[in-house]
Amino acid sequence: MTAIDALVVGGGVTGTAAALALAERGARVTILDAGTNAGSNTNAGSLHVQMQSRFMRLYPDQVPNVEAALPFYREATEEWVRLDRELGGIDLLQNGGLMLAESDDQLAFLEMKVARETAKGLAVEILDRTALNRVAPWLGPQIVGAELCREEGKLNPLLANAKLGARAAAAGVTRHTARIDTLEQTSSGVTAIAGQEHYQADQVIVAAAWGSGRLAMPFGLAIPSKSEPLHMNITESGAPQISHLVQHAERSITLKQFGSGQIVIGGGWPAHDLGETQPPTIALNSLLGNVALAARIVPGIGKLRIIRTWAGMNTTTDGASVIGRLPSADRVIMALPGDAGYTLGPLVGRIAAEMALDMKPSMDVKLFAPDRFAA
Amino acid sequence: MAETTFWFEGQDIRAKEGQSLAAALTEAGHRAFRQTAKDAHRGIFCGMGVCQDCLVTVDGMPNQRACMTLAQEGMEVARQVALPEFGDASDTISGNALHLAPDVLVVGGGAGGLSAAIAAAQAGASVAILDERKVAGGQYYKQAADGSILDNQQADGARLLAEAKESGAEIISGVELWGAFDGLLFLGQHESTPVIAQPKTAIIATGAYERPVTVPGWTLPGVMTTGAAQTLWRSYQTLPGKRIAVCGSGPLNVQVALELAKGGAQIVYIAERAPRAITQPMTALSMALADPKLATQGLGMLAGLRARGVPVRYRSELVHIEQKDDALSATFRKPSGHEDTVTIDALCMNAGFEPQNEILRLLGAKMHYDPAMGHLRCQKSQTMQTSVDGLYAIGDCTGLGGAPAARIEGEIAGRHAASAAGHSKADNLTRAHRTLARHRAFQSKLWQLYDIAPSDTAPLPDTTLICRCEELTLGDVRQGLGDRPSHIGTLKRATRVGMGRCQGRYCGPVAARMIAEATGKPIEDLSFFAPRVPIKPVAISSILAAQEALDDGD
Ligand SMILES: Cc1cc2nc3c(=O)[nH]c(=O)nc-3n(C[C@H](O)[C@H](O)[C@H](O)COP(=O)(O)OP(=O)(O)OC[C@H]3O[C@@H](n4cnc5c(N)ncnc54)[C@H](O)[C@@H]3O)c2cc1C
Ligand SMILES: Cc1cc2nc3c(=O)[nH]c(=O)nc-3n(C[C@H](O)[C@H](O)[C@H](O)COP(=O)(O)OP(=O)(O)OC[C@H]3O[C@@H](n4cnc5c(N)ncnc54)[C@H](O)[C@@H]3O)c2cc1C
Ligand code: FES
Repeated sequence: MTAIDALVVGGGVTGTAAALALAERGARVTILDAGTNAGSNTNAGSLHVQMQSRFMRLYPDQVPNVEAALPFYREATEEWVRLDRELGGIDLLQNGGLMLAESDDQLAFLEMKVARETAKGLAVEILDRTALNRVAPWLGPQIVGAELCREEGKLNPLLANAKLGARAAAAGVTRHTARIDTLEQTSSGVTAIAGQEHYQADQVIVAAAWGSGRLAMPFGLAIPSKSEPLHMNITESGAPQISHLVQHAERSITLKQFGSGQIVIGGGWPAHDLGETQPPTIALNSLLGNVALAARIVPGIGKLRIIRTWAGMNTTTDGASVIGRLPSADRVIMALPGDAGYTLGPLVGRIAAEMALDMKPSMDVKLFAPDRFAA
Repeated sequence: MAETTFWFEGQDIRAKEGQSLAAALTEAGHRAFRQTAKDAHRGIFCGMGVCQDCLVTVDGMPNQRACMTLAQEGMEVARQVALPEFGDASDTISGNALHLAPDVLVVGGGAGGLSAAIAAAQAGASVAILDERKVAGGQYYKQAADGSILDNQQADGARLLAEAKESGAEIISGVELWGAFDGLLFLGQHESTPVIAQPKTAIIATGAYERPVTVPGWTLPGVMTTGAAQTLWRSYQTLPGKRIAVCGSGPLNVQVALELAKGGAQIVYIAERAPRAITQPMTALSMALADPKLATQGLGMLAGLRARGVPVRYRSELVHIEQKDDALSATFRKPSGHEDTVTIDALCMNAGFEPQNEILRLLGAKMHYDPAMGHLRCQKSQTMQTSVDGLYAIGDCTGLGGAPAARIEGEIAGRHAASAAGHSKADNLTRAHRTLARHRAFQSKLWQLYDIAPSDTAPLPDTTLICRCEELTLGDVRQGLGDRPSHIGTLKRATRVGMGRCQGRYCGPVAARMIAEATGKPIEDLSFFAPRVPIKPVAISSILAAQEALDDGD
């Protein structure tokens, strides 16, 4: 294989995975990253597979997209399992995810969901309270049942980012801090322009999350990459008791325990947006509401103390990933994971790299082609 | 004096009434309270609720600070394990929240806060003072738990406290504020009750905590800040040990050494990093002229120590500390380069102060870096208002200034805050401003005589612990800085430095300086960890109770 020169705009998990995949196949790669508000730096490390109820509630029109992508989520967690082996320890545990119901209505909703997800080949089932007591005795008494998705899991994103970054650097990937204003495609290559700086390469992978839509715009695509500031909380350490990823059928929450014993609580509560160059700030109601909800569904954690909260920038699309060459600029390859983007990031990045190398992508991603946003 | 008995690891321990668990355990000879994730032992360090190293389990509730918890009859106290079982449903949430909406909320009941409250109340404002300690008074006026009076310093404090009570200000002790939000909304907890304060104006007077001497062994039980030892003695009549060494720089070390010696401890070594004051005669003289009384007091202390045969060793510093059976072995380097090693029960350290400015930074009050003191100062106007409307800041939390300055600043802020809340005009403060100028002149000369500029980490070995909570060494931080030193947030994510319970209060300033050195960029507000709620760890049950209380209010 001949070495190509590739730029990757955006150095979160997607961009880093793409750059690593390229470099491992002999390409010379440079990451250009603005250095602000990477969702990868602030995310909670949940490996999502089943449809998130929060998402189904907030963006009902996008549910068909997510549903169609379910097998992709399962494959993406497999990608993380592979990475865990290769990177050596990122606290990955794939012990399944529980989505809790507090009423018969919610349980009925989950049963409907299980049917749809089973049709897509997911390993999901409903657990009644007796069955739940065996695997999750720490749940509050009001929980009547749950959906268990065996493929779900969790990992420590700080460890994963550090190890993935180190591996990319070792593979020869270089990294510059630059905020790209525009991309230009010429007959001989593509140029990424940041103020006075021009970076040239044969191809570019755009993994710039919320910054991607703007870069694609001049090429006639309206990719709805929107920034979404979200809230997180973490406790001090407790004895390992919670091995599942915990969610709720109707309310926004993810709760899990890291290898350190710390409990991480999030799930999509909003934060205050201060723009692209500053991190979002904490909203009081999110802190109170998110933690109070956690305390209600897992009452035993009431004794632990919250030691930190933070807010970070998620990126939403139309619910599905955006992967592929731009129809009007074939040297530009989009790599946006979309919903639950940390789960999808490594797989999306690798597939984008395969496309850059003109290899046959290891998964069929026609569904995610950018041309669906052609104006 | 009345006594209570509590249980520690199956042994009954006697405590004086009002004594903290930390003091009672120290008196009973226990030093190690907590076990870390890496199986190290920790005990009292800061003595004031900041370091989170004195944790114990009390009646089944994990992670309680022994230094902030009073011993009570029959309490079951256990060493804190690293990973406590958190069990089933919690029964710690109490129903009602305490809602406060005063004209003036004062956070911190020390020299500054009490004076501010008095001035505001006298101007007609409704005032509430919240203080984290069980007995208000702050660090300088630290009161004894049993109400006894040790010396003039405590007597002055008792008078100030009585005056504050008479002024009509409501003093609520044992309230820890953990959150501050725009529009002046404060959240705290009072035992297990949530506190919700929505004042018209707020005066922040949270004081300072101590900068340690970061050397190998500084986390061993028995090594504590000088102020922690002072609190043991002044509040609880407990000596930190029989044989004690003191080190660092600044007048507090000498003062506390003398206090402990008078209390019956044997002070075996005092190492002061700065040269003797006489080597800077002009500075010493102008300091003495700025405040002859305080300067004389300082000389008196030195004489007192000399009379007890305890010399202060100047230009001497702590090198390392080791555990030796039940004792500590501390090694000091003398100006000659030779080393002295002493065997002691307790080592006290203070190398300056760090302002407790978390609430101010959270609310966005502007700061600037003061290189002489090595910490941030809060920008404030003549009225003591910060860059945030309705938010005033006084005393050591705005940058070290000492108790007399804190009192005057309190008076000025109290008057202006009351006036801003619609009460009588804040006039006739010319004299106060003149006195303040004199105190500030004294302080600036005083600190020039000491060596409190943050010390260089370069000579320290890689094995030196930097982040007490996450147990990270200087080597870890150096490695994290390695390839691309950029920003403290990046370093934090790469190494976990500052991610623990104390929220970076000890490692943060060190990391900020190391990054400044590595990048050549000057230190500023953004060099330090971004302020975040909660500023002190807060129980989930307490957040749940606050949420319920605020929900009801809607
Ligand atoms: C609080 C929070 C919790 C989350 N929890 C989870 C979870 O548990 N599980 C999960 O699967 N997902 C989670 N997510 C979502 C997930 O973090 C993101 O979807 C994912 O990290 C996206 O990765 P990325 O590499 O595509 O983009 P990012 O990590 O966002 O990186 C994009 C990078 O591109 C840079 N950039 C943008 N524009 C430009 C430009 N013009 N030039 C140069 N650089 C540019 C940005 O500065 C940034 O560094 C969470 C998100 C948040 C905010
Ligand atoms: C440990 C220590 C010992 C000291 N001893 C001496 C001494 O002996 N002689 C001397 O000259 N100087 C001493 N100093 C310096 C001296 O304390 C100050 O100059 C003086 O007390 C400053 O007054 P202040 O009002 O600014 O703060 P302080 O007197 O420190 O008062 C601050 C108060 O705020 C409270 N507080 C802080 N955070 C919160 C929160 N989040 N919620 C609720 N309450 C809070 C604290 O409990 C404290 O009572 C000492 C400093 C320290 C840190
Ligand atoms: S000694 Fe108790 S918190 Fe520091």
